[in-house]
Amino acid sequence: MIALSVAAALAVFLLYASVAGGGTPSLAPSELDGRTGKVALAGKVVGRITGDAHANGLRFVLRDVEGKATVPVVYKGSVPDLFRVGRDIHVEGSLRNGTFVALPDTLVTKCPSKYAPE
Amino acid sequence: MPELGRAALVATLGLVLYALVAGAYAAWRRKRRLALSAQNALLAAFGTTLVASLVLVAALIRHDFSFVYVADHTSRELPTGYTISAFWGGQEGSLLLWLLLLTGYAAAAVLLNRRSARDLVVWVVPVLGAVALFFAFLVVVVATPFATQTTPADGAGLNPSLQNPYMMAHPPLLYLGFVGLTVPFAFAMGALLARRADERWIVATRRWTLVAWTALGIGQLLGAHWAYEEVGWGGYYAWDPVENAALMPWLAATAFLHSVMIQEKRGMLKVWNVLLVIFAFSLSLFGTFLTRSGIVSSIHSFTQSSIGPWFLGFICLVVLGSLALVLARLPLLRARTKLESLVSREATFLYNNLLLVALTLTILWGVVYPILSEAVRGESVTVGRPYYDFFLRVFGLPLLLLMGIGPLVAWRRASVRSLLLTFTWPLGVALGTGLVLLALGAGSSIPGLIAYSFSAFVLGTIALEFVRGTRARRALAGGSWPRAFSDLIARNRRRYGGYVVHAAIVLLAIGIAGSSAYDTVDEARLAQGQTIAAGDYRLTYRSLEERAGANATELRAVLDVSRNGDDLGTVEAGKNGYTAERQVSTEVGIRSDLVTGEDLFVIAELNPDGTAYFRVFVKPLVNLIWLAGLVFLLGSLIVLWPDAREQRRLATRYAAAGIPARR
Repeated sequence: MIALSVAAALAVFLLYASVAGGGTPSLAPSELDGRTGKVALAGKVVGRITGDAHANGLRFVLRDVEGKATVPVVYKGSVPDLFRVGRDIHVEGSLRNGTFVALPDTLVTKCPSKYAPE
Repeated sequence: MPELGRAALVATLGLVLYALVAGAYAAWRRKRRLALSAQNALLAAFGTTLVASLVLVAALIRHDFSFVYVADHTSRELPTGYTISAFWGGQEGSLLLWLLLLTGYAAAAVLLNRRSARDLVVWVVPVLGAVALFFAFLVVVVATPFATQTTPADGAGLNPSLQNPYMMAHPPLLYLGFVGLTVPFAFAMGALLARRADERWIVATRRWTLVAWTALGIGQLLGAHWAYEEVGWGGYYAWDPVENAALMPWLAATAFLHSVMIQEKRGMLKVWNVLLVIFAFSLSLFGTFLTRSGIVSSIHSFTQSSIGPWFLGFICLVVLGSLALVLARLPLLRARTKLESLVSREATFLYNNLLLVALTLTILWGVVYPILSEAVRGESVTVGRPYYDFFLRVFGLPLLLLMGIGPLVAWRRASVRSLLLTFTWPLGVALGTGLVLLALGAGSSIPGLIAYSFSAFVLGTIALEFVRGTRARRALAGGSWPRAFSDLIARNRRRYGGYVVHAAIVLLAIGIAGSSAYDTVDEARLAQGQTIAAGDYRLTYRSLEERAGANATELRAVLDVSRNGDDLGTVEAGKNGYTAERQVSTEVGIRSDLVTGEDLFVIAELNPDGTAYFRVFVKPLVNLIWLAGLVFLLGSLIVLWPDAREQRRLATRYAAAGIPARR
């Protein structure tokens, strides 16, 4: 009985925590329109990578993994080994004046060899 | 050769199918000879799986690229050690490893228990057979490691991040843990099927659970150390779903190891224990599923994966089937006794269990929520570090405190007054530690300060227990202090080994708190000859070196390190360029201070113009985490060590109880 009641309370708490403040929405470039809050952006790196991640910022373009919509990204912070054109990455930040301004050190490459069926 | 491997796996499939069908029929109709034959089929299945595994190992060593698996995961210049570790570097190989370990565990469990717990084992065999059947089916039909092709000139090589000594030990240890949880699960189901509601299945599988749990724990720590050294972002645990995959079954098994003691001592929590073992086993399946199905990256890749849907179906089958069985046997599982007081040993165990399960469920939710959200709302969500860190504090800190309280509280009921008396010393130690640390400036992190005070409290109670025990032992039997001390442990391995494990967890907590709550990071772009300061350290970028490694070009920035004016030698950081794999990987520089447990951790991003961007972390006490691994292993070994006295006690107990009548 004690266990059950505690479990029930916990379930409610969990739902609350995750719905109210737990997760950050994860979006593709095509879904960015009109979003001003903090989001995680997932996409494929295309075009040319310019700039310096430790000075004015690394600049590159993210495209929908399956689609055509793109958005320019500016990012500062550490750059993973696997970051290069053609990789799927995700990065957190928010859209400002048409450019996605990333939060420092949030760039993560999705490493296909680690999870995916080979 | 590939034919032999394929044939051996088909034989395994047939044998485990036989173990399931014939075993179930024999147990149901009580056919003794048929039951024995089903057991032998399970033993033989280990033999055939071993043959298949050896075929794969031989193909790896001989660089036989006509095997698709070998070509995809190795190359000619890959060192032999990593070539063998490629066995579990890919999906098909790791499924084969699962099957090999499972049949190995099954064979050993049957051999060791078929005399002492005969009526249980007849029902355990079909359960083990059913689990093995699933994995045998996967490696025969869905993802065979023995697919062939026209031989290419060279293989694709192994993922560079797996080319690390830790990756040779980490995955097999995790699998040893994942798969090992099958044994207590199978015995629990076997006991229910045989309508035996006593604690026999727990006694028979206690050591198996411990082995699996120890392997999971050590494997997890090795993985953390690997991430620390190889992934190169400055941490050791990122709450990545793949890491959580191993943490969740470990936490569930920890809860199980504690709650079974209540059933052994007081006959309570029978349903809870069965549920916990189902939970732990399902989580180990879920963990394998997470790392192998691609569901983490997106639902889309999940539906493309060959094994994902099968796995999900099997997990559902296991959960629903075993829950249905528990429900059917519910009347048998009624407790003999009730909880008498909320201040008692039983109660603290119960709190410990609730906290551990709550922590496991929050982690599970963090892993599952993004997937569910994508499936239901079509919008993926990421659950980040703050979520996990928050719940680790909310549930982890009380757990730490309970670890100090639990062992000293009396069974059945204890008075608050006697508790306060018992805890005078540990409480004093904890308060003193807290105040001293506060004076030293540890108040910059409140959770860190609480963690340290609680740690001091737990260490205080553990020390108190050892001192009191040794003193009592010496008063009873005389002799020297060291003699009394070792006698004390030898006569009560479970209890004192458990305390050693507790001490390891405290070390872990201190290490985690130190390195996450009190670490610092400094960064700068330096030309050669320039210096960066980090804490008490000063690092001067001296030179850039390039050299050829076995299968990679190694580029290193060399830095001279000094602390408070003392020369500490050099640290190297940079990157490796892997030729065959055409990838680069960051190689961090670490200087450990073995006296203070502090690490200087350097990441270098090298620029074409010869300058480099350095990130320098100072991580206090981080080495206690690795030390905790050794202490944890020591404690587990103390508990696991064969104990003749305990065996005799159990034998008398079960002889007296007799084999209970069925139905």
